Amino acid sequence: MEVTMALFITKRLLMALATVLVVAVLAFMLVHAMPGSPGAVSLGAGATQEAIDEVNQRLGWNDPLFAQFFTWLGSALQGDLGVSLIDGRSVSADLASRLPVTASLAAGATVLSAVLGIALGVTAAVRGGLLDQVIGGFVGLLVALPAFWVGVLFVYLFAVQSSVFPATGYVPFEVSPQDWAMSLALPVITLAVGGAAFIARQTRASMLEALQQEHIRTLRATATPTWKILYIHALRYASLPIVAGIALQFIGLFGGSVIAEQLFAMPGLGQAVQTSVSTHDAPAVQGVVVIATVVVVAVNLVLELATKFLDPKLRAS
Amino acid sequence: MKLLTTTARGSAAVLTGALLMGSLAACGGGSSQAAPKADTSSLTLAIDSDSASFGFDPLRVSAAQRQFFEGLYDSLMTLQPDGSAGPGLAKEFSYNADNTVLTLTLKDDVTFTDGSKLDAALVKANLDRRSDPALSAYSAVAKGGAQEITFVDVVSPTQVALTFAKPQPGFEKNLTSTTGMIVGKNGVTDTASLSATPDGSGPYTLDPSTVKGNKYVLVKNDKSPDATKYAFKKVVFSVVLDPQARANALVSGQADVAMLTSSTVDFAKSKGVGVSQIGGTVNTMISFDKIGKTAPAFAQEKVRQAIQYAINRQALVDALHKGDIPAWNALPKDSAGFTKDLETKFAYSPEKAKSLLAEAGYPNGFEFTILAGAQTQTDLQAVQKDLAAVGITMNVKMAASTDEAFAAVATTPLGYAPLNWDNPVGVMYGAILNGFTNVQKATDDQLSAATGELAAAKDDAAVKAAATKLNTRLVESGWMIPLYEALTNQGYNTKKVAPVKFAGTNAYPLLSSYTPAS
Repeated sequence: MEVTMALFITKRLLMALATVLVVAVLAFMLVHAMPGSPGAVSLGAGATQEAIDEVNQRLGWNDPLFAQFFTWLGSALQGDLGVSLIDGRSVSADLASRLPVTASLAAGATVLSAVLGIALGVTAAVRGGLLDQVIGGFVGLLVALPAFWVGVLFVYLFAVQSSVFPATGYVPFEVSPQDWAMSLALPVITLAVGGAAFIARQTRASMLEALQQEHIRTLRATATPTWKILYIHALRYASLPIVAGIALQFIGLFGGSVIAEQLFAMPGLGQAVQTSVSTHDAPAVQGVVVIATVVVVAVNLVLELATKFLDPKLRAS
Repeated sequence: MKLLTTTARGSAAVLTGALLMGSLAACGGGSSQAAPKADTSSLTLAIDSDSASFGFDPLRVSAAQRQFFEGLYDSLMTLQPDGSAGPGLAKEFSYNADNTVLTLTLKDDVTFTDGSKLDAALVKANLDRRSDPALSAYSAVAKGGAQEITFVDVVSPTQVALTFAKPQPGFEKNLTSTTGMIVGKNGVTDTASLSATPDGSGPYTLDPSTVKGNKYVLVKNDKSPDATKYAFKKVVFSVVLDPQARANALVSGQADVAMLTSSTVDFAKSKGVGVSQIGGTVNTMISFDKIGKTAPAFAQEKVRQAIQYAINRQALVDALHKGDIPAWNALPKDSAGFTKDLETKFAYSPEKAKSLLAEAGYPNGFEFTILAGAQTQTDLQAVQKDLAAVGITMNVKMAASTDEAFAAVATTPLGYAPLNWDNPVGVMYGAILNGFTNVQKATDDQLSAATGELAAAKDDAAVKAAATKLNTRLVESGWMIPLYEALTNQGYNTKKVAPVKFAGTNAYPLLSSYTPAS
């Protein structure tokens, strides 16, 4: 059993590494396909061709593509993603400072949407009737609301009108845990609204199926407490698609945080992507793509492991 | 114009009297309560772009970033509250007889953050970087630039002489912006270091709590003798790209001052914040091609004039830029050269436009392409509709890359950009007559003459006459097709900051002008 599990993890890790490598190659090729050269980007519109050529030469832009990629890969494996063409700063250092912002946003929104979504979904499935319809309508409304509009509304209500939360900015956790939480509150809620609705629908459907199972009926017949039946046995049976939904939420929120970052002026990866793409800062674009891929692949890996853990049939296979 | 009604004047008189009595009582020691001390601990400015996206080399950015870099660097000359040029790192200046040599006498007590001292050699080392094409601030003074500096000579340790390729009266005004900012010895020697670490002698230094692209924290530089002129101990430049988010930050107290767009001014005012406004930036269509190389029709002045008549500026402002001002003048309303005559002369008239097109040999109009960006697309679509009504087909194409957008000056006949006319002579020489908007090398004797007259003007009357001539010709010739004048709005928390004042017509208030509310 342990050997099987170790083999499974090794295979999945190798697959994950291969995925990251393929994406790194694609990102590298896309950056090279972008119009303009690093010299032209870093020197601007007034630069002479001579000056541009000199910068390109210094950066190895004229070397064969294979050589350039392996040079970049060698550095990347050591944590060095190159330097920005615009300001010459380390891409790795910049992304390292931005990663906690986006991770806090995505993780916070995922947790909140999971808690709300599961509570709503279980309630709708278990209670049924009018309450199910009301929750269904409410969830439908939440799904339809664009995140940007929700954010604007929350800012107006809770920052502009009542000053409960700050309207903009991000305070790092190490500076002040309380201010960190306050600065994340509105953007996290903004991002969580749509996610909660999505998870609620997923949970309701899975729970309805779980409640029909024979072992649940048996538990009911043996007078097992209802909360135990619902939240331990039925929810565990229903959890596979819910966990998958939550993981997809996290991935989506990680990539989609740009809306919240812009609306709340937060220095995350979304803001970095926006800036680096608009300035044609190739190393920065490449760095963000690779980091985002690593996160997505890691989440998928965790999801697979969690699935294996939750489903006894899969665990035995 | 009456500023106050009779009732209001009466109330004001009563209020003034009450205040005067209060002041006298305070002077006489009648009050036992001390006035609350003004909060000068910190000032947060919400700005609309990343001032240091190119790092901390002030020469890599244009005059629009002067306010941010003013905190970190001193300039050879400084912008005065009235908009004129005053002493800075150079305490005196003089021109030779034919205005081809400007000699600067430098202060001798200036220290940079790297420990180096200001001297003539350092100024020369700075200005000798003008051959570096990445330094936008030096583009006009580089070789071939409209204000080319041919030599920089060290006359003595405290005197440096700038020799120009041609006479440059009034050049000192250029030294009040980023062009005049001086970088310390380490920064000049190792320019790459400026990407992460500023090296200036300004009233503030960069605090490590800075988060690149999000907030720049400046703290008082104790070594700067001018630091006392700046009221706040700490200044935070908070980058908030979204206009509504900037207004929200101001209203909810995350920012003390915020750059507001006209569309958010009413909202901000309704929440009780103060708003100071100034014009100065005219959003203008610029004829790149006046010789017809990319679109033959543009070689004719009548065609360019037809476009002036064809555009319904009032409708454009009403629909897309509420709060801003429709513009028929190339120069802004606060400029000496502004004239109401152009508003009537080029008033919206599709009939006149059609008739001019017919006279020019294009009775059925013509077709051309203009490149748009995300910021300009909707304006251009509005103009497109107006032009279509007189028979001109303007294809609006989104620029696929920055390179393509920059190349538009050579590949398309017409462009669109905001132009700030704080220094009209600089704009004319640096961008219009010889600069990047005229790569086809068109000439216009009247424009050149008016610019020369304005550069040489010695008094207000002469400035007004020359600037009016320049403004009128820019519009008549169709080199400029103004659309609207955008107001620069500085919103401020009235409880924390005194009303924001602008330096002359400059759209960016001096950092030193922000003072606490008393």
